[in-house]
Amino acid sequence: MILYLGRRLLGVLGVLIAVAAVTFAVFHVLPSDPAAAACGKSCSTERLEAIRANMGLDTPLWRQFADFVTGIFTGRTLGTGQYALRCDFPCLGYSYENSQGVWDLLVDRLPVSASLAVGAAALWLLLGLSAGVTAALRKDTLTDRVLMVGAVAAASLPVYFTSVMLIYGLIRVTGLLPYPQYVPFGTDPLSWASNLLLPWLALALLYAAMYARQSRNSMIESMAEPYIRTARAKGLPRRTVVVKHGLRSGMTPILTIFGMDLGGLLAGAVITESIFGLPGIGRLFYGALSTGDQPVILGATLLAATFIVVANLAVDLLYAVVDPRVRY
Amino acid sequence: MTTTSPPTATTGAPPPSVPTARSPWRLVRAELRRRPAARVSLGVVALFALLAAAAPLIGPLGGWGPDEFDKSAVDPYLGGLPIGPLGGVSAEHWLGVEPVTGRDLFARVVHGAQVSLLIAFSATAIVVVAGTAAGIAAGYFGGRTDTVLSRLMDLTMSFPSLIFMIAMMSVARDVNRIVLMTAVIGLFGWPGIARIVRGQTLSLKHREYVDAARVGGSGPVRILVRDILPGVTGPVVAYTTLIVPGMIATEAALSYLGVGVRPPTPSWGQMIAESVAYYETDPLYFAVPSVCLFLTVLAFTLLGDALRDVLDPRGGGA
Amino acid sequence: MNKRTCTLATALVTTLALAVTGCSGGGTSSGGARNGKNPATDNSGAVLGGTPQKGGTLTVLSNQDFTHLDPARNWVMGDMDFGTRLLYRTLVTYKAEPGAKGGDLVPDLAEDLGISSNGARTWTFKLKPGLKYEDGTPITSRDIKHNVERSFSPDLPGGPDYAARYLAGAEGYQGPAGGRHLASVKTPDDRTVVFELRTPFAEFPFAATLPTFAPVPPSQDKGPQYDNRPFSSGPYKIDSYARDKQLVLVRNTHWDPETDQVRKAYPDRIVVTMGLKANQIDDRLIAATGPDASAVPWDKLRPESTPKVLTKPDIKARLLAESTSCTEMLQMHTGRAPFDDVKVRQAVQYALDREAVLTASGGPALNDPATALMPGFLFGGKQPDTLGIPLTGDVPRAKKLLEEAGEGGGFTTRITVSNGDKAVGEAIQQSLGRAGIKVTIETVDPSAFYDTIGDTKNRTDLVYTGWCPDYPSGSTFLPFVFDGRFIKEKGNSGNHSLFRDDATMKRMDEIAAMADAARAAEAWRELDGKILAKAPTAPVVVERKPLLIGTNIAGAFGHTSFGGQLDYATVGLKDPSKSAN
Repeated sequence: MILYLGRRLLGVLGVLIAVAAVTFAVFHVLPSDPAAAACGKSCSTERLEAIRANMGLDTPLWRQFADFVTGIFTGRTLGTGQYALRCDFPCLGYSYENSQGVWDLLVDRLPVSASLAVGAAALWLLLGLSAGVTAALRKDTLTDRVLMVGAVAAASLPVYFTSVMLIYGLIRVTGLLPYPQYVPFGTDPLSWASNLLLPWLALALLYAAMYARQSRNSMIESMAEPYIRTARAKGLPRRTVVVKHGLRSGMTPILTIFGMDLGGLLAGAVITESIFGLPGIGRLFYGALSTGDQPVILGATLLAATFIVVANLAVDLLYAVVDPRVRY
Repeated sequence: MTTTSPPTATTGAPPPSVPTARSPWRLVRAELRRRPAARVSLGVVALFALLAAAAPLIGPLGGWGPDEFDKSAVDPYLGGLPIGPLGGVSAEHWLGVEPVTGRDLFARVVHGAQVSLLIAFSATAIVVVAGTAAGIAAGYFGGRTDTVLSRLMDLTMSFPSLIFMIAMMSVARDVNRIVLMTAVIGLFGWPGIARIVRGQTLSLKHREYVDAARVGGSGPVRILVRDILPGVTGPVVAYTTLIVPGMIATEAALSYLGVGVRPPTPSWGQMIAESVAYYETDPLYFAVPSVCLFLTVLAFTLLGDALRDVLDPRGGGA
Repeated sequence: MNKRTCTLATALVTTLALAVTGCSGGGTSSGGARNGKNPATDNSGAVLGGTPQKGGTLTVLSNQDFTHLDPARNWVMGDMDFGTRLLYRTLVTYKAEPGAKGGDLVPDLAEDLGISSNGARTWTFKLKPGLKYEDGTPITSRDIKHNVERSFSPDLPGGPDYAARYLAGAEGYQGPAGGRHLASVKTPDDRTVVFELRTPFAEFPFAATLPTFAPVPPSQDKGPQYDNRPFSSGPYKIDSYARDKQLVLVRNTHWDPETDQVRKAYPDRIVVTMGLKANQIDDRLIAATGPDASAVPWDKLRPESTPKVLTKPDIKARLLAESTSCTEMLQMHTGRAPFDDVKVRQAVQYALDREAVLTASGGPALNDPATALMPGFLFGGKQPDTLGIPLTGDVPRAKKLLEEAGEGGGFTTRITVSNGDKAVGEAIQQSLGRAGIKVTIETVDPSAFYDTIGDTKNRTDLVYTGWCPDYPSGSTFLPFVFDGRFIKEKGNSGNHSLFRDDATMKRMDEIAAMADAARAAEAWRELDGKILAKAPTAPVVVERKPLLIGTNIAGAFGHTSFGGQLDYATVGLKDPSKSAN
């Protein structure tokens, strides 16, 4: 088990370095020159060269990449003279736009994206699983069909459509909810939830269908297994049977999707965050992309990739817990 | 792309490994009869596919080209809002006009269908071909091929794909946007199908008829094409139908984020992106492309669900 | 200044807002405003909401973060307004008055508008006594010198370059970080600062309104990080600043209103909420309920929101729409065929349907069609129309010109526009197509836009961009846009038509040497018409800045010298008790 974990962690590191390298290369061919963008109008050639040197853009690409990777672990000093910035572990550089540390920016934005992702995930699990279980228990009835088609229909709407309609209905017309504005959970949990409810709903509607479908299938399948029939015959209450036996054995595929979905979302929902004006990592990334702020782009991409691979790893490890048959 | 029979039916190869005795295509027909929703979906899919294919013929029926301005249809003093009720619906403009430009919405939505579906279908084709090839190769050859391909799949799946697609779309400027978009979407889509095919291939690899073919002296290419490929066709077809809506949605999302097709080319995503701001002042403008997108995605999903239940009853995913 | 300073931030946001407008014009209703009156400009030159009461919280709803608040780097119209009106004072500043009076100068930190000697080569400013920073320490002339020097540092790019352009001995100077100082900025005592220029510069007091001439104490200078926490010499100081999220300003108790004839500092607190969706800001201000009643928008009203505003008199009464004074132009590569032929360029001027572009940028209510190169206020109010081309263009004339140029069959060309100007690109594409000029649109991300069009070798024949004068003088417009000696092969800016005309350049030098401001102004106007006739660019529109203010806002007007942005020196609340705390 420990050996397995070690091997997997090594793999994660390799994947992250590969992602960083590809990101580095892709953005190197971007048409924008961050030095020229920073320099402003009527920028003289000497000044441009000086800025480029200060940004560390005058060295070859492999050198920049090597500096970046070693900088993450050992820290590095950016800029010159009196204005030099010391950037400590874990150093992802400084934003070209506002000179803030990329790591600090990410840490500052993460709670927003995490709140969004975790809340939405809880909501879609609730919606999806209850729809799926209900449909399975009433297999081939009208309820089943309506639930399943309804779930798919909700997922077929683009998130920007759902969001706009939710804003119109719940904010503009009825005034039930405020325009979302992120309030940290620690400050006021109630306000945190009421502000995030709309974006949660918008995302949950998109994701719930998959869970409804998957849980319905698993339920139907496992309810037909002999041990479930035994449990029923033993006189265990229906609910216990459904939840403890039926759903649990069907958890494996659901867990897989859940890990991937949550991992992908934790690193920022670009469209949702920008529609609702939430200052999360998705919006940070998109803003950085429009201004050519390469350190931030790189940092946000790495963080996103980290979440994805770690989520996958976590899923694999959880299999062992959920499904006793899996052993390493 | 939908339910047309694959060539397996005529090759006379040993029956593929669907665990029932009846032909899968008969099962599909039976399932379609049983599920009205799937039948309607098939109809909707066919309708939009036809619309897309025949866009150059259908588009001009309204009398307007997709890029033709009609300044008389909008009021510049109100931010270019269409004149008349329902976003300027009239005998001249069947679905009304686009605010500001006065371009005919019917013509644009029909041409938009062509662009959106072309991108979605081509990207799907890339994904399916690449994914199937990689999956079969990894599953059949095993060993180092499997290791390398599986690592590549893991790596590709570790990329935050939307983020990368946005980035790559904004990197390249001078290339054909439609081709680029297809390639970029395709690049990140193949591992999913490759994994499924790999799993399926592994289970087929040691079936008796495959062993028999091997003993009979068939080369690997011949075995792959004649024995393995037909066996993975069922799940691939089902999965294909299920990834098309994802492709349409991705095209729309990229266009929504402003890195889509080059103006004045319309696509549904681009139309929705531009109309979102008008949802209150010109609801029809927002509704038309949104409904088209919604119906197409929904129809493909329902149809794909039905196909999967028949062709790959154990379900895709992991 | 470069269009960049006006549009970089807005263009960035438009890509996020994504609500592109499309394009066209109003078929039958042509040119002038409906019923002869523009429905959006009722409040032009007026102060809305009366005189504010002291106190309360003013909320600013923004779809973006400030580009830079560091005074050495701040060169975006709205940001300069916000910075110099609230956070730091400059040697000289503009009057806080609507209309043309907003172009008048008043002393700010200095006791007067500066005293020139040595034929306008030496400028001396004496600071008012008793000026203090937010911590109570005195503001000295050395702090002014320090910020001027900082503006040369490659670590602090982006700011105005007037210091670099005019100060003697500034060549190759890299800022104070290496312990080197500029000999041409002298501080004989704590209250006197003297600037030695390399050429005569009669308009130096105008340049002294720029944030470069705000004080930064060396002890507070944190290099690039200073951007996140500028040290206040103005009526407010920064309480907290979370980039791209929220900026909170509170009163600077050490600011003395007695020393300041411009800033009124009515609200107790100013809260800027950033990163909101542009259309949602519009909806919130239209509704103006709760704390939104005490809110103002940072960016302009989206074109899609105009029907919701202009059709309702009570909401329209809250709309400001001052001119940005930036001329947007279709600029042609005069060094490349077929645009090296003046006839072809004139054909473009005639083929262009400015009405369609106007609609694409928000309609005639929010824009004025451009008939000259310099914006109206450099002509004393209104642009002349020397060419007399109809608003929707003159296609037969354009075709005839093309034929004369031997391009009767039409040709294919390409245009580069910023993502946010996509609709404008389509309108240009459509209107030039009428004369047989087939245009392909290249949309470029705002971050890459100026680099792309600044690459003179590889850029497209046509580009759509504009220019905003830094202060009310033709010298901040025509030389920047049409002097061929400033063309660079890469990183070219301003002169995007690559116009190199000896007669024009000679005349520019003559005007720059004129000591009489009125004569110079007249000469610039005349030169404007002469350049236009040579058709390096086709002027298209002069945009307005429509701002819908909340119902509880008072003292609000769009300031002509800050591109129509609200004058933050005077804005406040009608009833402070109604605002959020």
